[in-house]
Amino acid sequence: MRLETRHWIFAGLFLLIGVTLVSGIKLDLPVSPDTQRMYDLIEKLPDGSVLLVSFDHEASSLPEIQPIARALLRHGFEHKLRLVGLALMAEGTAIGYRLMCETAEEFDAEYGTDYVFLGFRPQYIAAILSMGESIKATFPEDYLGRPYDSLALMRPLGNYSDVAGVLSIADGSFTTHWMEYGGRYKLKVLAGVTAAMVTTYDPYLASGQMQAMVSGLRGAAEYETLIDRIGGGARGMLAQTSAHLYVILLVILGNVSYFLKRRRAN
Amino acid sequence: MDRKIAVVICFAFGLVMFAQYFSAHPLARSVNQTIADYWQIIFAFALIVGVVGFLNNNFQQVRKGQDRPFRLLSLAGFVIMPVLAMIWGIKTGTPFLWVFENVQVPMQSTVFALLAFFVASASYRGFRARSVPAAILLSAALIILVSRSFATGPLSDWLPGVAEWIRNNPSMAARRAILIGIGLGSLTTSLRVILGIERTWLGGGK
Amino acid sequence: MDIGTAVAGLLTLAILTFLYRDNPIYKMAESLLIGVSIGYVLVITWSSTLMSLLFTPLLTDGRVWLIVPLLFGLMMFGRFHKRTLFLSRFPIGVMIGSGAGIAIPVMLEQRTLKQMTATVMPLVTESGWPDLSALVVLLGVLTTLCYFYFSREHKGAFGIAARIGTWFLMIFFGTTFGYMVMSRMSTFIGRMEFLLTDFFQLTG
Repeated sequence: MRLETRHWIFAGLFLLIGVTLVSGIKLDLPVSPDTQRMYDLIEKLPDGSVLLVSFDHEASSLPEIQPIARALLRHGFEHKLRLVGLALMAEGTAIGYRLMCETAEEFDAEYGTDYVFLGFRPQYIAAILSMGESIKATFPEDYLGRPYDSLALMRPLGNYSDVAGVLSIADGSFTTHWMEYGGRYKLKVLAGVTAAMVTTYDPYLASGQMQAMVSGLRGAAEYETLIDRIGGGARGMLAQTSAHLYVILLVILGNVSYFLKRRRAN
Repeated sequence: MDRKIAVVICFAFGLVMFAQYFSAHPLARSVNQTIADYWQIIFAFALIVGVVGFLNNNFQQVRKGQDRPFRLLSLAGFVIMPVLAMIWGIKTGTPFLWVFENVQVPMQSTVFALLAFFVASASYRGFRARSVPAAILLSAALIILVSRSFATGPLSDWLPGVAEWIRNNPSMAARRAILIGIGLGSLTTSLRVILGIERTWLGGGK
Repeated sequence: MDIGTAVAGLLTLAILTFLYRDNPIYKMAESLLIGVSIGYVLVITWSSTLMSLLFTPLLTDGRVWLIVPLLFGLMMFGRFHKRTLFLSRFPIGVMIGSGAGIAIPVMLEQRTLKQMTATVMPLVTESGWPDLSALVVLLGVLTTLCYFYFSREHKGAFGIAARIGTWFLMIFFGTTFGYMVMSRMSTFIGRMEFLLTDFFQLTG
């Protein structure tokens, strides 16, 4: 068994994350302006407002995206919003459906009146355009094949003008399509995204095309603080902070060794 | 001839979708709806074509004896999902969702989690201040990381503000310029496609 | 521990073995993942899209005009034979044409113009003084665009602007790298939390 430098780096990360998670120490984090903005926006929505929740992500990013989605869904149900789930990525379908059912159960929300899960549409641009004309024509049935008109929540909904906005839970660029193709219908877009996508969406947040954004495990932890429900975000914060410091240390060590080698060569 | 027909179909659908954008007339809205529905149905078939391609490829490899155990495992994994869905459905608590949640999701997210290790390794081996632009890149990354690492202490008072300013101003400006560039590029490419100047989408073959 | 957790834990460990090097255990897990995920896509596409959008309305509600997308969809299968390959170009033409047609006004209005407008609004604050941050954004957008303009040689004043543009780009890449590190670490923390809490039951 031959170990190289990278194996030691991997072992260090393993050990660090393992120890910090086992320690169970929780960090109190200040809430960032982005997260506060999302919370305030949802708080301002009147009771009974309908919010589309689009699960635009794959299973691969679930450990990061699930705490964000769960915190936002909890706030939505707690605030008596009526949530209509859908997915523009196949894997988001089963994840979104289960997550909505689980969260709804915590708040005794009833399927069909308080929330509905519509299912998956494969061509995201076509789905966004089609829903802008008619949600019913886009989803004649829900995920489990129940007709649109049999669902009390859906019956009065025609198109985007009947909803408060869409909350896109995304690990890629799908939220962009909601803003750009939904922008034609004046659709308000909120987003819960992985940290890696933050800089992609910053111009949209600045231009007002995106109303609010919660990002990453840290964003989830901040949101959990705001709604006073500890979840996966808060539990992982010490590990997250330690991992950042570990990477910073590796960058410094890498640079020190680089400059030492260069000096020796000169 | 068939290529010309395909280009004409592309032009016709492109023109209609372009024109309906500027109209609020019910007919235009209905056309938008109909084309979007057709588009989704055809796209769904395209996904199924991909699935058939996967099966084709795996059967061929099995026949040739290349990676046979792994290919058979892939095929078994593929077959089990539709079978479970046909027998028990796709609701919560069904075997279909059980396999999705306990087989697919853990593996897929762990494959993605491997990237954490390679990022750490790359930070040590490749992230070096060899030049002024590289030093700028490095500094921006470190400021962002440090600002998101401390809950309390002297740094937490001012560093998050600096990091937010960097993110919302110089960093956002560069991203915005990239977005504008992509926007203009997509616009011209779309025009070339509709007008039949850009035909690479027709592919090879007769 | 329930059987689901045991299966998920063992498969997670199988994938993690790749960190040492590529090996048969990892390959087995990877092959299974590929098969299961494609099977999943087939089921979801069939049950949640084709049934509700095509077959139920066509066969039960009698919406006969849905034969048109059905025929276009079936033409896609022409790809599997040289003689019928040409058929697949027609549905691809529908998708490419529709996408390109709608992209022109959307890219112009929702992306280019809105982002340009946001760059210059407002440059001067209510107090009458210029907004320094807004000026930085304007400088960043213009110089980065200069960098991406390759039809003119990057020298003289234009070259200086392009060089400043690269600095802005470096700040963007650095910021993105910082957030990307957070993202990747979060995913790994999530998997470790599962292993330690649910699989090994080391934490509560």
